Amino acid sequence: MKVSKVMTAKEAVSKFIQDGTTMAIGSFFHTIAYDITHEIIRQEKKHLTICAPSFNDHADQMIGAGCVDRIESSYVWMEVFGPLYCFRRAMEKGIPHKIEMEDYTNFAMTVRLLAGSLGIPYVPVHSMKGSDMINYSSWRGENKVKLLQDPFGSGVAHALVPALNPDIGYIHAQRSDEEGNFQMWGILGDAPFSMRACKNVIVSVEEVVSRDVIGRDPNRTVLPGYKVVAVVEAPFGSHPKNCQGYYGVDRDFIFKYIRESQTEEGWKKFMDEWVFGVADRTEYLKKYIDTFGMKKFMDLRAKDMSSSSVNYGY
Amino acid sequence: MTNEYDDFTLQELMAVSAAREIKDGEKVIIGTGLPLLGAFLAQKTHAPNMIAIYESGAIDCKPVVTPLSVADAVLVPGAAMQGGLMEALGLVHKGELDVGFLGGAQIDKYGNLNAHVIGDYYKPKVRFAGSGGSNDIGAGCKRTIVMMLHQKQRFPEKVDFVTTPGYFGGAGQRDKMGFPGGGPSVVVSTMGILRFHRETKEMYLESYYPGVTIEQIIASTGWNLMIADDVKETEHPSPELIRILREEIDPTGVFLKKQ
Repeated sequence: MKVSKVMTAKEAVSKFIQDGTTMAIGSFFHTIAYDITHEIIRQEKKHLTICAPSFNDHADQMIGAGCVDRIESSYVWMEVFGPLYCFRRAMEKGIPHKIEMEDYTNFAMTVRLLAGSLGIPYVPVHSMKGSDMINYSSWRGENKVKLLQDPFGSGVAHALVPALNPDIGYIHAQRSDEEGNFQMWGILGDAPFSMRACKNVIVSVEEVVSRDVIGRDPNRTVLPGYKVVAVVEAPFGSHPKNCQGYYGVDRDFIFKYIRESQTEEGWKKFMDEWVFGVADRTEYLKKYIDTFGMKKFMDLRAKDMSSSSVNYGY
Repeated sequence: MTNEYDDFTLQELMAVSAAREIKDGEKVIIGTGLPLLGAFLAQKTHAPNMIAIYESGAIDCKPVVTPLSVADAVLVPGAAMQGGLMEALGLVHKGELDVGFLGGAQIDKYGNLNAHVIGDYYKPKVRFAGSGGSNDIGAGCKRTIVMMLHQKQRFPEKVDFVTTPGYFGGAGQRDKMGFPGGGPSVVVSTMGILRFHRETKEMYLESYYPGVTIEQIIASTGWNLMIADDVKETEHPSPELIRILREEIDPTGVFLKKQ
């Protein structure tokens, strides 16, 4: 009998995320684990290196809280919604402290994680060639990217980007069993490679389901559960972002964060209310419904557009 | 009788201008905002066989509701294929896509784009988002459409930081890199339409928007901008295109602010 890995976000973060760790934060806009992110902030983790092809407000919140020293990514911004002010304050003014970033491209970061997931040392790409991302490095120096003439004689030089193998990764997903065989659908973002590249993985999910549910549709499983060290059940764990089949993007809440985080004081007030002022995701949800009403909450919920199932028979 | 769609806003003109750049049957990687409106307008009019691809991995998607972000869940149901970054940017990197959209904080004379910093890289005066997929799209797509706010500080002779190379310092330089993609073909700015000289690869003004003068465009550009011999006013969008934009593509006015 396998041992259940289901635990609270509090236990998972305190047990598996150490100060100074290199951490991949999975997904692209959709299914980002805000529940784990907020717990990292509440536990005041320090000196983290955070890695992902692209980051949004979850990274901004960790930067503002002083958890982050280094970023390996291509992007820290809130898309069409606007800039992220903690990131800008840290990069421009060293508030709350100076942080460093190694700038790659979205594809370069994705293939760095692919290389990490396959156990190969680097990948040659067209991306980054001729850009200043080649000329400037923050801490990796010569080991950020190298140019190499194709040894097979095409006559073209490529940028070699190194594999990335973070100590730990975390991600939000639709469902997992107790052993950590988790499944995602919709926009997969940097998954499955980002999480496969990590030594250990924490997954937070909308629902913990039986192993039997997973086994009925195994093509949807992101990685084998043996890599997963903790499964956290966190309905609405990706709010204010979306989770396909569960809820949509909370545009108003994203704009609220951007508006309030324009000043340090505004940002602190937001965080006191929505991160430090709640013990866990259950309290966060309760606070959300108390503040914005049940109707707003219900409006976020996804309608049923279930797919037809496939026959796995033999 | 005046038609309520006779009039158009700057944003609508830019969306229409972007749409005109897309040919039927092309594979296009699009972002949110104006590129999205332009691409869907093309698909609803002259380019019904366009294949819309999002960075988030939604391929040949036909959303019934306007997506608010490149990773909006409305993109997924009805798409021909849904993957992740690897599936979308992999197609870009391989050189299979015809058109990509780009933007940034600065663009220079040869179409090089900056989306990183104003000032020193290590101690920036302003720090921006970074490349995201823009460098990848610039390297891989057969051609790119750049959409830019036309201001002097955003159109310097040389960008502070090259995020996405255009034609580097001019003729022949891009070819040496071996990119699958051909570089920027047009800049749809907030003042007019600019292209790149066939031989020198220097940017020039092709047409100016109604109400904008060539002098104003020159004054808003950080180098001595070349003007096409046959420079003219940008073609006005037909009322039908404006109707489709307002009523079918962005009926709630998410991107096109209601006048």
